Amino acid sequence: MTRGSDGMDARAGRVGLLACYILVIVATVIIAVPFVWLVCASFKSNADFLLYPFLPRGEGVLGVAWDRLTLDHFRSLFREAGVGRALLNSLVLSSVTAVLATLVCAMGGYALASLEFAGRRLVSNVVMAAVVIPSPLLIAPGFQVLYRLGLLDSYAGLILPAIAPAFGVYLFRQATLSSVPRELLEAARMDACGEVRAFFRVVFPLVQPMVAAFLLMTFLATWNNFLSPQVVLQTPEKMPLAVMIAQLKNVYYQDYGLLMAGTLASILPVGALFLLLQKDFVTGLTSGAVKG
Amino acid sequence: MRPTAGGDAMRDGGGGRAGRLGSDGRRRPAWLGFAAICAIAVVSSVMMLARREAPPAGASMWLFARLHRDIYVPAVEDWNRTREPTVRMSLLGVQAMEQRTLSSFLSGTRSAELMEVERRIAARAFAGPVESVGFLDLTDRLREEGLLEAINASSFTPWTSRGRIFGLPHDVHPVMLGYRADIVEAAGIDVSTIETWDDFVRTLRPLMYDAGGAKRTDRYLLNLWETHQDVLEMLLLQAGGGIIDERGLPMLDAPVNARVLARAVSWGHGPDRIAADAPYFSAAGNRLLLDGYVLASFVPDWMCNIWRKEIPELGGKVKLMPLPAWEKGGRRTSAWGGTMLGISRDAPNPEECWAFAKHLYLSPELSRRLYTEGDIITPVKAFWSDPVFDEPDAYFGGQARGRAYINLAPQTPPRYNSPFSALALDRLRSAATQLAAYADAHPPATPESLEPEAARLLKAMQADIMRHVRRNRFFAEDAPPDDGVQP
Amino acid sequence: MTDAPRSRFAPWLMLAPFLAVFAVFVAWPLATSVVLSTRQTFGPGTSRGVGWGNFEQLFADPLFWRALRNTGLYTVGTVLVQLPLSMLLALALNHPRLRGRAFFRMIIFSPVLVGVVFVAMIFTVLFDKRTGLINQVLHAAIGWDLDFPWLDTYVIPSLIVATLWQYVGYNMVYFLAALQNVSPEMREAALLDGAGPWSRFRHVVIPAIRPVATFVVLLAILGSFQLFELPFILLNGTSGPDNRGLTLVMYLYQTGFQTGDLGYASAIGWALALVLGVFAVVQYSLDRRGVRR
Repeated sequence: MTRGSDGMDARAGRVGLLACYILVIVATVIIAVPFVWLVCASFKSNADFLLYPFLPRGEGVLGVAWDRLTLDHFRSLFREAGVGRALLNSLVLSSVTAVLATLVCAMGGYALASLEFAGRRLVSNVVMAAVVIPSPLLIAPGFQVLYRLGLLDSYAGLILPAIAPAFGVYLFRQATLSSVPRELLEAARMDACGEVRAFFRVVFPLVQPMVAAFLLMTFLATWNNFLSPQVVLQTPEKMPLAVMIAQLKNVYYQDYGLLMAGTLASILPVGALFLLLQKDFVTGLTSGAVKG
Repeated sequence: MRPTAGGDAMRDGGGGRAGRLGSDGRRRPAWLGFAAICAIAVVSSVMMLARREAPPAGASMWLFARLHRDIYVPAVEDWNRTREPTVRMSLLGVQAMEQRTLSSFLSGTRSAELMEVERRIAARAFAGPVESVGFLDLTDRLREEGLLEAINASSFTPWTSRGRIFGLPHDVHPVMLGYRADIVEAAGIDVSTIETWDDFVRTLRPLMYDAGGAKRTDRYLLNLWETHQDVLEMLLLQAGGGIIDERGLPMLDAPVNARVLARAVSWGHGPDRIAADAPYFSAAGNRLLLDGYVLASFVPDWMCNIWRKEIPELGGKVKLMPLPAWEKGGRRTSAWGGTMLGISRDAPNPEECWAFAKHLYLSPELSRRLYTEGDIITPVKAFWSDPVFDEPDAYFGGQARGRAYINLAPQTPPRYNSPFSALALDRLRSAATQLAAYADAHPPATPESLEPEAARLLKAMQADIMRHVRRNRFFAEDAPPDDGVQP
Repeated sequence: MTDAPRSRFAPWLMLAPFLAVFAVFVAWPLATSVVLSTRQTFGPGTSRGVGWGNFEQLFADPLFWRALRNTGLYTVGTVLVQLPLSMLLALALNHPRLRGRAFFRMIIFSPVLVGVVFVAMIFTVLFDKRTGLINQVLHAAIGWDLDFPWLDTYVIPSLIVATLWQYVGYNMVYFLAALQNVSPEMREAALLDGAGPWSRFRHVVIPAIRPVATFVVLLAILGSFQLFELPFILLNGTSGPDNRGLTLVMYLYQTGFQTGDLGYASAIGWALALVLGVFAVVQYSLDRRGVRR
């Protein structure tokens, strides 16, 4: 795309490209190291965990003692009752929360960004104010509310409070403001489809970058949340994966290999999801046409 | 009602869209992503609904320790076969337990009928007036059934608030010193001559020098650092001090505390440094023990289990000795940690729960398994004669480990507990950290030169906690009168 | 669901789910916490009114100021170190001739997939003195002190490092999304004008990422000020030696759940909300200036 009109420019372009490569590669390596370490730790015996930073050194290929690696941690992880069940629980909680939150926030954000109605300012200000409420402030009273509504130990009690994050509404308000041209909306309305349909036909596709990112982020946040499920849910069978693995961390001692294997097991499903959807996300991220 | 609105929108959005978007090639992939997550949501929810189970009946019991749960399984199954109510155990994280217990006090949400809690969590329950503590008051039952005499006395202290006992004790948790017998014995040193901390330092110091007489930087005598708050508290208890007095009030400013703290910090930062940091409960600390970076470390009975599981390589290289005393004839052990079984105050069937608690905690089989699988000494004195405690333990060089701990059990100091325990422990560590910084800035940091500063810091910390205590009118109203408490 | 064009109900219909959930799960608990902040409660349903007493005490509470300072330092560190890095990485990845973009982006983004519990577990081991990977690598590379006490003395920098690892890719994705929203026509126009890289950056890139940038900064500030889980697990449920790792939310948690004084905890929460409110107002007004329609 860049056309070097003269040598100087081309050279500058090359230097720039090289700088980009260096920056990106250094960052990638630094970020990958803990992952490599994690993978090594989950295949090492606990004795070796203490002795070698990565793989145990020995006589084998590449100077690694391959025979000292073990699958024991994964075996004991899956012997733990209900890993499959916990995985399913996590999937339900995360996906339902992500879908509902995305819809609720996208609709709310759109209404605040491009519809005229009395009370818009008020609602906008409420949203802005809600963004700054520290969630821990609500732990105890929120628990009381769930109790009064009879939602303790139910998925509704976990999902409902999580589907209307104020910052999500704010986020979609921003996205709508910056990527949905007025003309387009007007045209959609002229087409005699109402506000709601205009939203789904015109706005939703246009704010896709945000939809994609927000969906993934909400999914992840729910997937990795371990504190609220432990408080809201009471039945062990209902617990999601993160809670199960966090509980492997004992108060007094830790089976490191098992913990790391568990961590790996919790990353893999979302990792796979992200890999699968990565292309869609990127397409989504690049497809929002903005008429600057 | 509201969720349905969301559902409608979803169907509207999901179904209505997919057909139309086929024509729009450029945007299709992004919808696929959304659709994929929608699909996961639908499919997994359907699977979940298909697997709905009836809510289980019976009483529930919360625990925080996986090891305990595994040990209890047979006893609980045995109970469930013959007795009512059936008990279900569920393992909780410490944070979750904190939040649930507190929430149940706050809003009257149901807690489990039975709760096995660690002493810091139990302490939270003692914050209000004594008659509204969330646990059932067991004092009268314990007295009538002769359990007060049958169980090691100091084991009740963490569960006692304003004279009432709220839990059945699980342990004694005496502390010994675990040391590298291989290194010590190779140097021809006999630890049985060690009686006090001064003896300990004098006898073992030669091990910190190499053959040429140069000081080694990779070897210290004691695993102790200003950041180990639990160990510091344990040392204070050993010396007759502590952070909480029998009334449940903070006592950081007791003179004995300043003396011990000054000694401990001087060991790490003074001219004759003998202490180093091999963090407890961490892979790094385990590794340093293995490297012989520290020769001795504090080992309550439960720590034996951790060593055995996490540092099997130390097997046969370590032995246990009673703690050196602070002065001649002083206490040779201390106490670290603690667990109780409590019954919720609003349990609908307190008598059955009480019967279950006794079935679980007071059975000879359990006390045996607690020791063989968890290395923990039972607080029930009648079981101490069990020959299992005399079996040689190969990990500890063939010592009769159980007997060694049981011999020290009667000496374990009381570990008082109150809602201010966590706060007091935190301030103790702050004092220690600040004292260490002071020691580094004012060499040479001898115990004598540190003691006035230690006293000053502890006094300041005490004053700070007392502000919190004075706020808590509820606790103070039950406490015996004291000038420091009246607002 | 019928919707006439320009329906007066449409906006409310769109907002209904949000408002309903908000009312029940935010506004209602919030009202409770306002009441709580003027009372003193200790455990089992015992409470009495203290009016402004909680706030008066908070103002004179050295620990509160300490927590505020720690949290502020962490926030400044995060915003000034992490966000510029995220943006640089996004710009680098956006270079049109860079190969393997998807791979790099995946790796750099991937720490976000790791839950905070696990980040804390991993970094606990990496930050260890003597045996921790970080000290060992730095020791081998630049003769760093093997005994460097990350989690004893330099708690806040440790937290900044761990957060940097976890979130640099997350924020990068936001910036990338914004950069890729720059329309080809605009780029072309800038190129035809013969604009140099700097002016291209100024006239094409900056306007494109401004709305996202302001948003990301706000999110980073809000997130940083609510820091809790990471230090809580990293420091084993304590606030670190001499409270060096005490954050505002951790203090709230400690007073609320460990000391059982929910009234005081609510007061801390409101003080925090006030601080965040100031940031939000500033950001909001900048934002309004930024969006010119």
